[in-house]
Amino acid sequence: MSEPTRSALMDRSLPPAPGRNRAFHFPSFLRHKLANGLEVLAARLPDVPLVSLELVTPAGGQQDPRGQEGLAALTAGVIDEGTRRRSSLEIAAHVERLGGYLVAGIDWDEGFLSTGLLAQHLPAGLDLLAEVATEPTFPDAEIERLRKQRLTEIVRRGQDPGIVAEDRLAAVVYRGTVYDHPSAGLPESLAALTRDDLVGFYRSHYTLAGSKLIAVGDLDPEAILRDAEERFAALPAGPPERPEIVPVPLGGVEVHVVDRPGGAQTELRIGHAGVPRTDPDYIPLIVLNTILGGKFTSRINLSLRERHGYTYGASSRFTPRLGPGPFVVDAAVATESAGAAAVETLAEIRRIREELVEPHELEETVSYVSGVFPYTFQTTSDLAKRLETLAVYNLPNDYFERYLKRLPTITREEILTVARRHLHPDRIAVVAVGPAEALLPQLEPLGKVTVTRVAE
Amino acid sequence: MSFSAKRSGTLDLDLGFERHTLDNGLRVILHRDARLPLVTVNLWYHVGSKNERPGRTGFAHLFEHMLFQGSEHVGTNDHFRIVQQVGGVANGSTWYDRTNYYETLPSHHLELGLWLESDRMGFLLPALTQENLDTQRDVVMNERRQRVENQPYGMAGERLHELLYPPDHPYHWPVIGYMEDIAAATLEEVRTFFRTYYTPNNAVLTLVGDFDPDDALAKVERWFGEIPAGPPVPPVHVPQGPLGGEQREVREVDVRLPRIYYGFHAPAYGERGWYAADMLAATLSGGKSSRLFQDLVYDRQIAQDVGVYVSPYEEVATFMVVATARPGVAAETLETAISEQLDRAATELPSAEEMERARNRMLTEYYTALQKLDNRADLFAQLTTYFDDPGGIEREIEQYLELDGSELRDFAARHLVASERAVVTFVPRGAQESRPE
Repeated sequence: MSEPTRSALMDRSLPPAPGRNRAFHFPSFLRHKLANGLEVLAARLPDVPLVSLELVTPAGGQQDPRGQEGLAALTAGVIDEGTRRRSSLEIAAHVERLGGYLVAGIDWDEGFLSTGLLAQHLPAGLDLLAEVATEPTFPDAEIERLRKQRLTEIVRRGQDPGIVAEDRLAAVVYRGTVYDHPSAGLPESLAALTRDDLVGFYRSHYTLAGSKLIAVGDLDPEAILRDAEERFAALPAGPPERPEIVPVPLGGVEVHVVDRPGGAQTELRIGHAGVPRTDPDYIPLIVLNTILGGKFTSRINLSLRERHGYTYGASSRFTPRLGPGPFVVDAAVATESAGAAAVETLAEIRRIREELVEPHELEETVSYVSGVFPYTFQTTSDLAKRLETLAVYNLPNDYFERYLKRLPTITREEILTVARRHLHPDRIAVVAVGPAEALLPQLEPLGKVTVTRVAE
Repeated sequence: MSFSAKRSGTLDLDLGFERHTLDNGLRVILHRDARLPLVTVNLWYHVGSKNERPGRTGFAHLFEHMLFQGSEHVGTNDHFRIVQQVGGVANGSTWYDRTNYYETLPSHHLELGLWLESDRMGFLLPALTQENLDTQRDVVMNERRQRVENQPYGMAGERLHELLYPPDHPYHWPVIGYMEDIAAATLEEVRTFFRTYYTPNNAVLTLVGDFDPDDALAKVERWFGEIPAGPPVPPVHVPQGPLGGEQREVREVDVRLPRIYYGFHAPAYGERGWYAADMLAATLSGGKSSRLFQDLVYDRQIAQDVGVYVSPYEEVATFMVVATARPGVAAETLETAISEQLDRAATELPSAEEMERARNRMLTEYYTALQKLDNRADLFAQLTTYFDDPGGIEREIEQYLELDGSELRDFAARHLVASERAVVTFVPRGAQESRPE
């Protein structure tokens, strides 16, 4: 090793030039819709001896009927709690012996039944997934156990100021639609659900047509395709109809304070209904949002955190859903700065609709969003997530290649256009969860204020 | 059923590495992983909150924030901007025993990461300003409010450590520090801290990703070689000895669900007893078939959740049990049930099936974590920082796989005893007065 000396030739003043770029290619995958309606997406990642398998069903929270909020979630909760062959604990012991996990759950769009395990146990994993999906028994004792657990979970949500703020925002901006409550359900609706409700929901929503099997890992995609047809054939027929979700825009700036006396800080959420994931503006919106609040050096974070020190971090997002998911800015702020932080956030939302973004901001952001893409492909579940996006939003196989090509074509004018179309700072909700006494004088100048208390 | 990998007792993964030491003492670990066109530049400094002293807590962490405020050739707020505009991600974290920083970049930008990290290791002081320190103190105070004070059970970790370790023990105070100490930090202290701990001889640089090792080493030498070595780092005094009597605290907070935290001392990370403790934790709370879950959550339904955690601390580890009560269940009921299971672990051997489940779970966890470059780099760095042993990953796995059930039982019998525990209980406000006592 050479003698280290402080070299006058060593110029640190500029970043070193990059080396030669090695291109990233989206991993190849197989996608095929079987004659029976099930869609299969499978990809081989041979480097780590793991596989992840997921059955995605049209059984998401958006399917909850009014008055039965939480039905989709409770059905998913109980589906892996007993089959014709095994009890709840037998299922768990089996999958854990294989070094794996089995999880059932929902989001707003879909129901999920997933397992991940050592690759050598792939056949056992597929068998188990099919068994749980096609032969659930919905035992009464398990329903009662899960119901109590979910009711307790609702109590716990009420203790967490960040979650209280999110729930309040949803209640305000989605008033009257299925998105206006937590997908886990409400105490009254959960209490009233019966076994017949769950079985009925299973029969009409865990349907072969409309479901997707996603398999990623050290496996043979062709073999998965061959196996899937027969294994899942016993799923109910379908699919269910997808509901239309049409939120009513707010009439102005609505301020909602949830009083939490003695809270050490204030949880702030500012937002309104956004657009469906399938909106043609979605890609420019990703770039717009990244500039506004989607990265550490975004306008909102640099202002609230680095310039003012109001918060540990502030960020914004357009939440992807089949329906119009929310646009939200979130920050936990010092209570005495809550008004200033809200004013500053609204000012940034207005500014990006009024002025073109700087050329360097757009260039750096496009470079970031495209450059970081390979980073999101490190694990079997990363790739499974991408395949799921293709399947759930019915996007073409080359969607991500098109996405990468589309990014550099976005112009400053286009950002301004989509900002004006999809950001509504004058019809927006400002939710603050913290000590009302200190918050009210700060927030009253912003708009009409409603005060509620954290649920007891 | 049994585990079958390429070589028995090891992972079916290529974990080959090169190890070098520069003349200034910087240790360099190179691990090539060309699955994706990415590279991670990962720097561990062997300094954490344990190097602080009472009255000046939170310093290591506040300092980590200052390292993102620019250095001689990198402007304030430019660190993240420079990394992000090439498609990279960056972050840092502070713990009791260490502080780490990383950038994961498209692999052709490897040298950019070396430039950024060497600039703040060698040329930080000219960029430190009072204004940046003032802002970051506010940011960190808000971080403490957000993560600790405004969370329903957020004070648990802090109080448990205060009870488990005496005031002069370096794990007594929280990593994030106390509010008044954060507020009092001065620029001169930041400078002294930098000179004392941020030296090449107190750091490990790990590169993981798609690069040519010879070329990468030459670049490392070029950017880091001229940074002078610093003096040896002052030793940390760690008082030894058992707790010698149970420590308890009940806190009334704005919650409806009581929650209980148990803490015990466990052998330091790296000792065989640590792996036994971690494996026991898996049999107690890993998955639905684990003992505590099955008893408290599934059968008796007195708990909403239960978890057992053993952290990789360098001096002495903490074995922690956490459980949240169902509404209407008294904390005492939960405590009795947990104690019964811990007593059982101290007397009964785990079954062969429990051991097999825990072993398989451990393997899946390693494989899952090691898919990510950042995690690979952190594990190499952790084993090098604490034990000077970058090849230790395989030995860790071997330790887990060869453990005998009696070692889990012996750990429980020796460490999980009532006189050696700290217990922090959170109860709803007013719950104490209304108790029939």
